[in-house]
Amino acid sequence: MNPSFQLAFLDPLSSTLRNIHEGAPSLNAGLLLASILVPLLAALVLMALSGRSPVLVRAVARIGFAIPALIALWLTASYLSLGLDGRYAFMLRQPLGLEFLGIEFFIGLNGISLPLFLMAGIVGLAAGIYAIQSGVEKLRFYLVLLLIMHGGLMGVFSSIDIFFFYFFHEFALIPTFILIAFWGRAGRKTVAIELTVYLTLGAMITLAGLLSLYFLSGAEAFNMIALRNAIMDSAWQGTVFGLLLVGFGILVSLFPFHSWAPRGYATAPAPAAMLHAGVLKKFGLYGLIQLAWPLLPTGAELWSPLLLWLAFGNIVLIGLVTMAQRDLKLMLGNASVMHMGYAFLGLYAYSVIGVGGAVLMLFAHGLSVALLFLLADSIEKRTGTADMDELGGLGKQAPVLMGFFVAAIMASIGLPGFANFWGELSIFVALFQSATPWAIAPAVLGIVISAIYGLRAVASIFFGDSGEAIEGGDLTRCEKVPAILLLASLLIVGFWPKTLSDSLDAAVQESFAVQAAHAERSEVRAVEALSQLRYDEESIVKTNF
Amino acid sequence: MDTVTNVLLFVLLTPLVAATVILLCGRQRGNLAATVSVLAAALVALASLHLFFRTWSGEAESVSLQWLSLGELEIRLGFYLNGVSALMLFVVSFVGFWIHVFSLGYMKDDAAKARFFGGLSIFMFSMLGIVVAENLFMIFVFWELVGFSSYMLIGHYFQQEDARGAAKKAFIVNRVGDFGFLIGIILVFWTFGTTSLPQLAEAVAGNPSAVTTLMGLLLFCGVLGKSAQMPLHVWLPDAMAGPTPVSALIHAATMVAAGVFFLGRTVFLYTPEALEVIAWVGVVTAVSAAIWAFAQTDIKKILAYSTLSQLGFMVAAFGLGTLFGLSQDGEHALYYGVGAAMFHLTTHAFFKALLFLGSGSVIHACHHEQDIFKMGGLLRKMPITGITFAIGVIAIAGIPFVAAGFFSKDAILYVAYEQAQIPFVLLAATAVLTAAYMGRLFFIAFLGQPRSENAEHAHETPWVMWLPLVVLAVFSIGGGHLFFYPPTLQPTLAQIVPHPEGSLHNMLIIFSLIASLGGLLFALLFYGTGAKGDRLERSLRPVWLLSRSLFGFDALYSFYVKRIQQRLADIVAFVDTLFINGLAVRGTAGMAGLGGIVARSLQTGSLHGYVWWFFAGLILFWLYAVGAFLTF
Repeated sequence: MNPSFQLAFLDPLSSTLRNIHEGAPSLNAGLLLASILVPLLAALVLMALSGRSPVLVRAVARIGFAIPALIALWLTASYLSLGLDGRYAFMLRQPLGLEFLGIEFFIGLNGISLPLFLMAGIVGLAAGIYAIQSGVEKLRFYLVLLLIMHGGLMGVFSSIDIFFFYFFHEFALIPTFILIAFWGRAGRKTVAIELTVYLTLGAMITLAGLLSLYFLSGAEAFNMIALRNAIMDSAWQGTVFGLLLVGFGILVSLFPFHSWAPRGYATAPAPAAMLHAGVLKKFGLYGLIQLAWPLLPTGAELWSPLLLWLAFGNIVLIGLVTMAQRDLKLMLGNASVMHMGYAFLGLYAYSVIGVGGAVLMLFAHGLSVALLFLLADSIEKRTGTADMDELGGLGKQAPVLMGFFVAAIMASIGLPGFANFWGELSIFVALFQSATPWAIAPAVLGIVISAIYGLRAVASIFFGDSGEAIEGGDLTRCEKVPAILLLASLLIVGFWPKTLSDSLDAAVQESFAVQAAHAERSEVRAVEALSQLRYDEESIVKTNF
Repeated sequence: MDTVTNVLLFVLLTPLVAATVILLCGRQRGNLAATVSVLAAALVALASLHLFFRTWSGEAESVSLQWLSLGELEIRLGFYLNGVSALMLFVVSFVGFWIHVFSLGYMKDDAAKARFFGGLSIFMFSMLGIVVAENLFMIFVFWELVGFSSYMLIGHYFQQEDARGAAKKAFIVNRVGDFGFLIGIILVFWTFGTTSLPQLAEAVAGNPSAVTTLMGLLLFCGVLGKSAQMPLHVWLPDAMAGPTPVSALIHAATMVAAGVFFLGRTVFLYTPEALEVIAWVGVVTAVSAAIWAFAQTDIKKILAYSTLSQLGFMVAAFGLGTLFGLSQDGEHALYYGVGAAMFHLTTHAFFKALLFLGSGSVIHACHHEQDIFKMGGLLRKMPITGITFAIGVIAIAGIPFVAAGFFSKDAILYVAYEQAQIPFVLLAATAVLTAAYMGRLFFIAFLGQPRSENAEHAHETPWVMWLPLVVLAVFSIGGGHLFFYPPTLQPTLAQIVPHPEGSLHNMLIIFSLIASLGGLLFALLFYGTGAKGDRLERSLRPVWLLSRSLFGFDALYSFYVKRIQQRLADIVAFVDTLFINGLAVRGTAGMAGLGGIVARSLQTGSLHGYVWWFFAGLILFWLYAVGAFLTF
């Protein structure tokens, strides 16, 4: 028997996309740039729109949120159609006169950044639609800040240049603080300050790590491709890796640097929580995947025993903490910390399966956690509380909301059919092959823990019988649209993981090939691997304004 | 494209399409949802009949395509059809269809009919996925999905307190089993480099020493959860909180049997040591659950404990039969355990679905009265339900030559007798107990005089509900004979189901006769017809209390969850909060305080005070730094 039911019906689409790319080679690189600039431009326009009608404000914001998402979809489809095997594509380079520092504006996508870029686009749009209908005070400023965040997020995952990679992260981070401080729920000032202190500290340690990486490796330029080509003296690897692990670790809420996250997310307005927990937080792990591990194998070896225990802290200890939560948003915040433990374990295992699984996990987690924060906010808005002891019996009055919430919880606890499952499964498989196969046991224990808190939340919010009527009834259309967007993305990748995993697999494999070449200290092979696999120099769009 | 593949693809996707249609446009339209779902079940049943009579040759076939590939990990999506899975496909599609039909009547006036039928279709999709899956990862995927659909359907009446707890419990207990199951699958993957069932069979044949006891026991953890074996059996009786058709389809006939089916699919992955453990777990579950059934008064709970007991029979049959087969020669000897277990699974699916639907018919007629002591005289009020229920009782009691259950139980007792004494004695005792508790149920609920208003006014249910009973009753009697099965399935059953020969054969027949009739007779004499109260409770209180105690499992778990697990979580959360608060104090209030102190000391103008505060500040700062370090 020979399987022939491949996805043949998509062939016309992919050949069209291929033709377009070949006909106008710089189009897609331009679109990539536009995905960063459009939200920022929309923010500028909104700033200028003071006193104008709210209808116009909403329309501009809608455009600002929708275009990056559409571009992300377009570029993903194009990337997959072009058969790029995980290589860098859609690259655009603009010198800034800072070449002596190794800095230039340099963006592009490869198999690792593509899923995260797509996720940033989708979550950004969902958060945007949800924010536009939220009816908060000073909606215009609220939207301006969210648009700036959105632009920064699109920039983070498309940057090849490390300065800009870092810059875009800060760009998105600062609005988070302001959003929490002004639009957060009770206790927002304290939480905003705590978050600012903590994350700024993390960002600074990260910067120190990145700079030392650059200067100690003697790379020719401060970008991800050039750094791959450099070889780091092993004497320094431990220190630099430590800096990066702690710095990035704080930003991804690695245990015990997690304490900012649950309260921060619980306090933040929902769209900010969606964008931060969903997308921005992934900056840290993405940085570790793209930079720390490939460049610093000796350092990674030195730190990985500790990392293993820290990741268990995330999964088991924070898992238990999550079980003890009464407040729905605090529970989600803690759950999100817990799930980052899986991604760290994927990195710990450090194989193609582990790293690939970690990226899939990041993609899926971003969508599912955004969905959960959106729904939690809808619940809180209707009942005036997020305390699960007070909630109950909502299922009868809001069956659609219940349906979405159950689906989102199922996704986040790793039910097959949702993208999260593939990430978790790959990480488990990779762990078994790592230096410590027993580590799979505490890791898989997480699937029991997450089932316990997830289903308990569903039962205490929606099940049971409650006579109290809720305000606003079931989910409105404006709440449903972003929820469907997020859920559909999770389901598509859940049903057909190959959509993203093939190019991811190729990119990660190639990354390991380069590293293996480094390990043998045969630079010739490394360079060969680079020139053959990484990217086609000719294809870079070089602008010179 | 190959036709077998096409038919299997059609079988698998039809319920999924039905569920999607219901989700997208049937949520408000209960009748549309019901039609779509039943139609899908009918198409699945027809397609599988087409497969057995026209398309499939009876030879094992497999096909697969890549689903996910990361490095060395390749997960494939595919079908593997052999005798065991074909038999299971027959059971699921055939019993599933009749239960769908029954649901049309039973759920007629339900407020959330669309959710119910949508759930049934998702269940059919997931269950069929397990049946046709080509590899262990794919089985795991659908394994989890049946768990989800079971959760969804147990929680159908989510407003009620018992359904709320039961749904959660079922999912979580299954996840506990899946903990070991998943690790086991990953162990198999890294040991053999593949999880494809046909390839694994070859790999094991080439290198039998690679199979370890640990591997088998880890995989068996999944069976413990899904097939509700001790000590993970606690969720199944609670799952009766779901609608009765769900209890019949998922928690009796098909899903809970998936564990047994899984053992049959992976028979080559168990060492004799693992098989011994499996056999004992099955035996202990069978006898314990049969004891527990005596203290139950809820008609569905009695059937639930009976299901536990019968699943124990199947698991024991697998363990003992495979051990027996390993000591025998012959091409199919390895599959004796599979044959015994799968045959009992099949007949059990017929008669237990019949019994559950019968109880559903009774509950429907008695306005949701489930206590057997408040029934009575139902045989006269509802003759079709009564007679078919009696057939179900005969089938499960295993009256020789009449009942399907006799033939399948016979095979199990035979391998048990050949293999080990104590398990044989325990299983034989269970057979007597089974006849007795089923007799108790039937004589009390169906004979005598009605003992409540609801039972007084009961009358026969509409044809959509009694027709499935009649069909299943026919199979509960005939299912023990080969000619009741499609021709492509007959060779499998004939080859792998072990048969006793000669004097042993006669002895087992005599034993079955005594056990089944003796058990029923005991029930009749001890309880009488239409009894008002439980005589066991009054006259043999210690025995009743022992049965009532459920051997302390439920109490122990509830103690663990409330007193240990939740407290541990609270303590860890408290420690975590301490750190957060500690940091918040140091980070914000602490800093502000420090600033204020410095400012004030500057204002005093006294050098002495300035120096003093400076040192105090330094100590505070140092404490802050140390504290921060500790937090990190």
